[in-house]
Amino acid sequence: MMFLVRCSWLKTFVVLGSLFLVAGSLNVAGFAANEEPRTKNQEQVAVPFRPENGKFPPLDKSVAYRGELVFVDHATRRGSLRVEFKSEFFRSPPTPFAMLPYGMVRYHGAPADLRDIPLGTIMNIRAFLPPDPKNSSVVTTPNHWYPLPLENHAILIEDEPSLCLREGKTWKLKEVDLQNNQGIVLATRDSQDAAAAKDPEEKLTIDSTTRFWRGRESLSLADLVAEGTWPASGKKSLGGQSALLGLIWKPCPDGIFVRYHISDVWLDDKATQRAIQSQTEVHMSLIRSRWMPAFVDKVEYGKFGRATVTVTLFGGMDPSLYADFKKDGTGAINGAENTLKHAGGSYGPAHMASKGTILEVIKTPGVAPMGSSGIQVRFETDLIIEGIRPGRVVRIRPSGWPNVYIPREEFLGEGSKIEDRFPRPDIFPIYR
Amino acid sequence: MARNSSFIVLCSWLLAVCAFAANEEPKTKNQAQVAVPFRPEAGKFPALENAHSYRGELVFVDHANRRGSLRIQGVGSFRRNEPHPFALLPYGMVRYHGAPADLRDIPLGTMMHVLAYLPPDPKNSAVPVLPINNKENTAGFRDRGTAPAENHILLLEDEPSYDLRTGKAWKLGEVVLQNHAGLMVATREPTQGSPGQTTDETMTFDASTRVWRGRECLGIEDLIAEGTWPAEGKKSLSPQVVQLGLTWKPTAGSVFNRFHIADIWIDDAAMQRATQRQTKAYEAFIRSRWMPAWIDAVEYGKFGRATVTVTLFGGMPPALYADFKKGIPAMMNGVEQTLKHTEGGTAGPSQMSARGVILDVTKVHGEAPIGSSGIQIRFETDLITEGLRPTRVVRLRPADWPDVHVPREEYINGGSARMDERFPTPAIFPKY
Repeated sequence: MMFLVRCSWLKTFVVLGSLFLVAGSLNVAGFAANEEPRTKNQEQVAVPFRPENGKFPPLDKSVAYRGELVFVDHATRRGSLRVEFKSEFFRSPPTPFAMLPYGMVRYHGAPADLRDIPLGTIMNIRAFLPPDPKNSSVVTTPNHWYPLPLENHAILIEDEPSLCLREGKTWKLKEVDLQNNQGIVLATRDSQDAAAAKDPEEKLTIDSTTRFWRGRESLSLADLVAEGTWPASGKKSLGGQSALLGLIWKPCPDGIFVRYHISDVWLDDKATQRAIQSQTEVHMSLIRSRWMPAFVDKVEYGKFGRATVTVTLFGGMDPSLYADFKKDGTGAINGAENTLKHAGGSYGPAHMASKGTILEVIKTPGVAPMGSSGIQVRFETDLIIEGIRPGRVVRIRPSGWPNVYIPREEFLGEGSKIEDRFPRPDIFPIYR
Repeated sequence: MARNSSFIVLCSWLLAVCAFAANEEPKTKNQAQVAVPFRPEAGKFPALENAHSYRGELVFVDHANRRGSLRIQGVGSFRRNEPHPFALLPYGMVRYHGAPADLRDIPLGTMMHVLAYLPPDPKNSAVPVLPINNKENTAGFRDRGTAPAENHILLLEDEPSYDLRTGKAWKLGEVVLQNHAGLMVATREPTQGSPGQTTDETMTFDASTRVWRGRECLGIEDLIAEGTWPAEGKKSLSPQVVQLGLTWKPTAGSVFNRFHIADIWIDDAAMQRATQRQTKAYEAFIRSRWMPAWIDAVEYGKFGRATVTVTLFGGMPPALYADFKKGIPAMMNGVEQTLKHTEGGTAGPSQMSARGVILDVTKVHGEAPIGSSGIQIRFETDLITEGLRPTRVVRLRPADWPDVHVPREEYINGGSARMDERFPTPAIFPKY
């Protein structure tokens, strides 16, 4: 039975815009904590859901699964995962996925770009059917004897620590059994919610490459052995020590179907917060140089090219980025594709963008759906450009953000080639 | 020109003797060379002095096929340079943090140094084949040297690996800080002897820059809190000697080529820990994927019996070579130029491989060329399999290495394999 489950149970899994932020402590991720998708989804009726253009889909219609990140084409926001099934993991072929334009990546409990995730990382995904199958950048009907998911357009893809932080879970380390600087850790992923279903105990491998983060220290297994915390050889109870774990996969001997490897152990909150902070800084820098993505909600046309554009900023960013959008501030909007590539960036996206003034920054009432920040920006320009139409994706920036040229693969150029706008799925090998 | 005889590594802070030796900087030497592009021959390790050297940002990776793309540095605007496809030669080596690595280990965005040749077999190249003089091509916005025909790589290494190999380090001059980000002026100099002609390089850093000191992983804010670096303004750091990990980020203003400091190793202990960790990661990797080698000779016996002589590829941790001992049982399997296992992958490479005994382990006289370990193995099997022919690439392992199944994208699925699994086409690379 595959670990691929639907989650209509998540009727209430909506994100409060105000909660969808990393809180001051950096420990509160920008999601509503909720029940464990895997358990719940197994109870669900499978009704694949296809999102509509310009609308954030309800999260309870998504499918949840997890797998190893095997391939990344970050410029086109797509890649491949080796999806976990309850059979030989090594046989599971890399399965392509694409990020929805408002799809979010999270790494170490913070927003991220696909380029930030090391290959091999075990990722948790929530996905839908392709919104526009004929223009999908990944195959829409994977053909394999494994029941590969048709829901391959991701609204959320996150590593293990991000999932645990978002859902209020921690790993409890029960026992370690070591030999020659490698071994097995017995652990369970426990929820803060006492009523939540208990996860089964897992056996995870560990070795001399595993990093242990304690405060500002980066330790190895040898360091823990030298301190006497862990045994040099043999078994030792770890007493249910709380930790966050980073997981990857390595082939296992002895016919083991699925067993993950611990790449990182965060032993305390301070270490976790430092990891979150570091990744947050990386992503803030990326978004300030690539601009904030958004959907166009409305365009009110004036005369001689003048227009007022209302956009909804996409969700999952650091709060300080949203705070940079201020009423009466100046800014620029540029057309972008569903891959979030800028249109016409050869002279830098600012060159052709519509420039103007932010008339209003509105916090929409109620709970924002996943993918949305819940923040609308009304922006007036005296020269509206092509690409800024209702339902289309744009990128917007306040003038205070650095005005930089982006690299060649992240903009469309003159746009004469259709595959630049609509990347084809041909780059993905077909495995039989 | 670099001479093979002196291309050895001598790094006091490397834990093991690598398959290199300290030498003059390849880039400097190659710049002085007559540009005669060199095409390696099957079954022969090419002379290092015929390699073309350049450096660039790792932009894309297809690790399963040992290929990717680099944005190559020229003298003009770095961000305009299109991602340039490359393939690793079967004996091509990757190095990261001063240790052997696989492409999957290198984070996207990392600045890499390259030594490369023309494709050995253009009609089966996994990346586009370019006109031989393409490095002179300046069509469009292209900067001279940013799309060389020499795209088959012998050595791909990050900045610390390059500096450790060539006996160099960075001397930090001055730092200018504002809001936990700023500019660093530094020079890359030999660690011993006269610095010769050096040029100051200005690089950026920010709050995501990691500073490694002993077993600590610090941020810029930690250095500020300690009073080592100023919170604002300039400070001379001279003469602090460090190793730097470099990436690239778009820069504001008209800055053409400015790199970003992702990591600073402040002391030898910190660098050694990074080297040690990567070494261990790679040892585990090769033990599960087997040691790549070339077949030098096959002496056929009766009824499928044969004695095969191979040369192990170079650049591995010495501990791996030491595992090949006279008289022990071993296995050998045919692989492609991509180092993918060809036979019986779906049931694990062991199933269909030729089994036998190591008759002899010989260290060849004199200096081994780059790419070669200089170690020959004579191996006798009672059932030779297809793929084990002179000049072909194989993988072999002592029988006591872990017997694991490799993941689906790393083997060719026996008789059902499509031609493009054996010979990946360059079609996946976008044309800009």
